[in-house]
Amino acid sequence: MKTAEKTGVVLAEKKVDQKKMRAKVKRVLLFLSIIAIILLILIPIYLLFKISVSASQDILTQHPPFLIKNFTWKHWLKILSAGQIWNPLWKSVIVASMVALLGIIIAAPGAYVISRLPKKIKYGVLLAIFSTRMFPEVGIALPISVTFIKWGLLDTNLGLVLAHLIRVLPLMAWVLTGTFDTIPRDLEQSAVVDGCNKIQALVKVVLPLSLAGLAAGAILSWLESWNEFTYAIYLCLADTTLPIKTYYYISRGNWFESAAYAVFLTFPVMIITFVLQNYLKSDYLSGALKY
Amino acid sequence: MILPLILFILGFTLLPVLQCIFYSFQDRITEEFPTLANYRLIVGNPKFGDALKNTLIVTAIGLTLEMGGGLLIALLLTVSSKIKGLFRTITMIPMGVPTIVSGVIMLYIFSSNGYFNEFLYRIGVIKLPIDWAQGGIRTLLMVAVADMWKVTPLVVILLLSGLESIPANIYEASAMDGASPYQHFFFITLPLIKPFFTIALILRAIDAFRIFELPMVLAGRNTMFLGTYAYSEYFDYNNIHSSGAASTILLILIAIFVFSYVVTVGAKEVDE
Amino acid sequence: MGKVLLLTMIKGIKKPKGRMFLMKKAYRLLLGLVILSLLVSCTTMAAPKSLKVIMGLAEEEWNVMREHIFPAFEKEYNVKIEAYQTEAQDTEKILEARAKANRMDIDLISQDNMRLATLVERGLVEDLSEYRSLIPATVIPALVDVGEFGGKLYFLPYRPNIEIAFYNSLKFAQYGLKPPTNWDELFNVARTFKEKEGVARVAIKADLSPCTTVHLFDFCRSAGGDPVVLDDKGCFEAFVFLQKLWPYLSPDSKTANWNFMNRHIATESVYLGQNWPFGMNVIVKDGGKKEVLAYQGWRGPVKESHVLGGDVIGIPKGAPNKALAIEFAKYLMSKEVQEKLATYNGWPAVRSDAYGTVEEWQRPYFDAINEALKYAEARPNLLYWDAVDKALGEAFREGVIEQKPVKPALEKWAKFIRDNKR
Repeated sequence: MKTAEKTGVVLAEKKVDQKKMRAKVKRVLLFLSIIAIILLILIPIYLLFKISVSASQDILTQHPPFLIKNFTWKHWLKILSAGQIWNPLWKSVIVASMVALLGIIIAAPGAYVISRLPKKIKYGVLLAIFSTRMFPEVGIALPISVTFIKWGLLDTNLGLVLAHLIRVLPLMAWVLTGTFDTIPRDLEQSAVVDGCNKIQALVKVVLPLSLAGLAAGAILSWLESWNEFTYAIYLCLADTTLPIKTYYYISRGNWFESAAYAVFLTFPVMIITFVLQNYLKSDYLSGALKY
Repeated sequence: MILPLILFILGFTLLPVLQCIFYSFQDRITEEFPTLANYRLIVGNPKFGDALKNTLIVTAIGLTLEMGGGLLIALLLTVSSKIKGLFRTITMIPMGVPTIVSGVIMLYIFSSNGYFNEFLYRIGVIKLPIDWAQGGIRTLLMVAVADMWKVTPLVVILLLSGLESIPANIYEASAMDGASPYQHFFFITLPLIKPFFTIALILRAIDAFRIFELPMVLAGRNTMFLGTYAYSEYFDYNNIHSSGAASTILLILIAIFVFSYVVTVGAKEVDE
Repeated sequence: MGKVLLLTMIKGIKKPKGRMFLMKKAYRLLLGLVILSLLVSCTTMAAPKSLKVIMGLAEEEWNVMREHIFPAFEKEYNVKIEAYQTEAQDTEKILEARAKANRMDIDLISQDNMRLATLVERGLVEDLSEYRSLIPATVIPALVDVGEFGGKLYFLPYRPNIEIAFYNSLKFAQYGLKPPTNWDELFNVARTFKEKEGVARVAIKADLSPCTTVHLFDFCRSAGGDPVVLDDKGCFEAFVFLQKLWPYLSPDSKTANWNFMNRHIATESVYLGQNWPFGMNVIVKDGGKKEVLAYQGWRGPVKESHVLGGDVIGIPKGAPNKALAIEFAKYLMSKEVQEKLATYNGWPAVRSDAYGTVEEWQRPYFDAINEALKYAEARPNLLYWDAVDKALGEAFREGVIEQKPVKPALEKWAKFIRDNKR
């Protein structure tokens, strides 16, 4: 009886702030789904991390435990003290950053022009740019690399940057075209009416509005270059990139070192996405719309 | 302004692509041109039919999973919460993992005594390990899921930049008009991010059709894909001609997909 | 030379003649650059400062090279050895890109002898026939044959290698099993594990890469067949046996190559599998799986046969320091180096007069290698090796994995080999 009464009271109370309740449930659900997704994304990384800090008996068994049982920094100390990780790291960071930067410089003006074309021509141009990405790299990576080697760009950052740009530019062009499409032409025109010249209008109006898209493009390019592998094999020997180093440990079967390398690979990714994602915020857009 | 972009891309790639297509029509031994011998050779191989089928199925499954998952994550990311910044960063991590590494991670998970089987075993669903690389739909599903982990961030970031570009006042206006969240999503959000959806879908489709590294690690060369086929012909069997033919077929396949998508969905956009 | 160049350039500046002048200037500049680069290359030819070498080694092996092998040579020739890691499957990519760009900067390669035909066919390596006399008389003859294609010698021997069978001794003891020494025992062991554990625990490398080809050579030859012919009696017998064995082989076979085989054995997913001896470093030394032992493997109905693998030395076409590279090759084949490689790396020596004393823990594995080497057979050197490779893989897929009738599969792919003979 008492419990029923209580439930009744609770129910009545619930009805009173049903709205509040519903919002709360919604938030909890939302929170839970976010946590679930984060877990799904992180579990593979966690497993790698676990392997990289586990003693071998935890990994080399038929029923490996999910938690870290015998913790050791041994494998990490090994790869860090070997001293072969820093040069590849710098090389990869520099190349990826240059690719992102140059990618924007080359692709943004082009994408702006494309976005202002009539719709049917626009798709044609975009697909033409993208057609080369539709071809498997197996056959074309070699002749492309040969060109760069002919130019003496073997083992240089520039060679690799140029090669990566080939992969990245179509992607970048497409993303940026999409971004510029969302910026109404009237805004530019009104800026021109206000006394800006065309260039000023671009810099003062279009550029701030497209920051979110540029950031998205930059992140994508950075990541594409960061994990690129095919061209790096052709173009780097003395001065390799981090993925190639990782590949070496993987193909030599050093489970623990390769896991440590693989985890190490993700640190710069976290930093760069964390820094660049601030630009993805919509504040830029809504702020500018008031202009 | 558009010239540097086009010159850069086509300048470096057009010739190699054409050359590769040329090889595909050239006889390996007699160097006769043009000939369909290479195409006859690979199409005549039953393995090629499998590779074609597998490629189409894995692309279909993969795209569905990735676009669905990507949209869900992107939507969750627009809702502000305390861990939003962290969440966003975490979603991007897999994209920075090289495919060869993600292959190794996934092999830890999906090999016969991998962590997924171990998980199923511990919760009592299975007694004996499941052979995920056995072939058939099971393997394709594994490859699609494994691939999804790495590539969904691309979809997320593209859809997110679409979602973020929807001015806040549109949301306010529709809320004032009494639109339900459901109506709001289907009649306002979706149409507004459609261009971004198209971009993401096409980008992903192109890469999904060309998949080869991941299945090679996860299933060996037993479950063939067109990309694996092109790779294997060239690097294992030293045949640039049949590899070129497989690449060309792949190119045509992708082109057909992209054009038909653009014509059906893109044309509507033009009408709007 | 430099002075002349400078003078012509100054002269050019003094006589401006519009467009013609500009073109002339550009031409002279170009000429100057060509001469300059020639000069530079002349000087490097005279006294090479470094020797660029690529090899595919594990980290421990690199340490041995850097500590015990390179320094003596560097000192003697006053040269720096720049050695870089390259996996066997990438060597051809790296050489081809440089050769096509006409910028070969690599002086010497060491390459897996399973991947030589491509290098020869694409014209990426020098014909070394004139250096045949440099090969020490004590080198195992089969190892010299491996480097020959069409009567020409392209590669010099430097490291023999052979697959040994790794097995988990604890699991074998648990079921009272002994490592199989012939096909019947192999089948029994495979079946017993499957029956006792519900999961098959014997694996072969069946990822259909060249690794599979090596296994198939062993099976076919030990049944008296010739895998290059493929539709003979011995191959038929081997494929029929493999078809029967397949259901009792571990599902991990499908992803097992020379790398993942180690992992499957180390994680106790597989209890018995053949792999190259470097597995001992990975499984036993790094992984601490001391219960994983090795022996020479099994014989077939006709004989015991193991493919003779290993690394050979090649010189890329257009290598900048060919003469010095030859000296280095000579050095690598020397008794002194071979003994060091045996001692520190546990590599069997390429010559019969070199002995190493391996570390205590390595000894049983080293013995297995030497035992297997007694039954070593070189792989034939065919320019159409890729066709053989492919035919064997495809025949295996159809006859064994898909369990289709063996005879038509073998006939079909034997025809493919015949059609692609070059």
